[in-house]
Amino acid sequence: MMNLAAYLFISLVLFLCGIIVIIARKNIVAILIGMELILNAAALNFVAYSRYVTHHIDGHIFPLFIIVVAAAEAAVGLAIVIRFFQIKETIHIDDATQLQS
Amino acid sequence: MFLQVVFILSALLTVVSAVMVVFTRHIMYAAVYLLGSLIGVAGLYLTLGADTLAATQLLVYVGGILIIMIFAIMLTGGQDFMKNSRKSFLQVPFMGNVKTYVFGGLAALVMGSIGTKLIMNVADRFSEHSEMLSYQSTIEVIGEALVTDHVLVFEISSVLLLGALIGAATIARPIKKQ
Repeated sequence: MMNLAAYLFISLVLFLCGIIVIIARKNIVAILIGMELILNAAALNFVAYSRYVTHHIDGHIFPLFIIVVAAAEAAVGLAIVIRFFQIKETIHIDDATQLQS
Repeated sequence: MFLQVVFILSALLTVVSAVMVVFTRHIMYAAVYLLGSLIGVAGLYLTLGADTLAATQLLVYVGGILIIMIFAIMLTGGQDFMKNSRKSFLQVPFMGNVKTYVFGGLAALVMGSIGTKLIMNVADRFSEHSEMLSYQSTIEVIGEALVTDHVLVFEISSVLLLGALIGAATIARPIKKQ
């Protein structure tokens, strides 16, 4: 049961859910949630391959940096969302049509 | 046995929560289901023998990013909470006609079979030697690798975090009254 295919399948489900959330949701915060799902899917793939294929610790290093980049991305993205809400009074993605207020 | 129970529970938590993130109506519920999915991924890391990553996942994602997201939802929610969520996935009307769905279904079938074939191929090739990298603490190895082989990426990520901190504080500052 616990083999590489199971982890790849879980990662595939996570990735597809993230893609569907990004495509179908109109809320900017929901789109950021979908991006977190996709980053988690990629990190899970790294660790699964490092355990079952390469047997090397480098597969554990890359998810660490994925988590770091995700933290930075979430901080800046949510700051942009809050700023956008201050200006436009909405967080609907279709209202984000201008770069400069 | 214990490992398999942990694996099954984590996999179920991850998959069900990820699907519920897609199909829930309310954005706050989506954030809470994301919490479940992240905890499930941490459990999967544990079953893969990556204890450091599991701890980091819990600390940074659950303790940091999710809190920021809930703060952002509460700061931007307000009165048009339901108006935003009403335009979600469930309320989008269907597009296309029968022909579109037939061709789309055929294409999805072909893509699904190809993907399954690829994954099964990978699984067959790597399933025989699946007992390696025995379960032991990885924190020493990771710490050593971070300051020897990957020291440049380590330093760059520190600069990235500083830039993100300053940038977030600059972007989200309150608007000045003129």
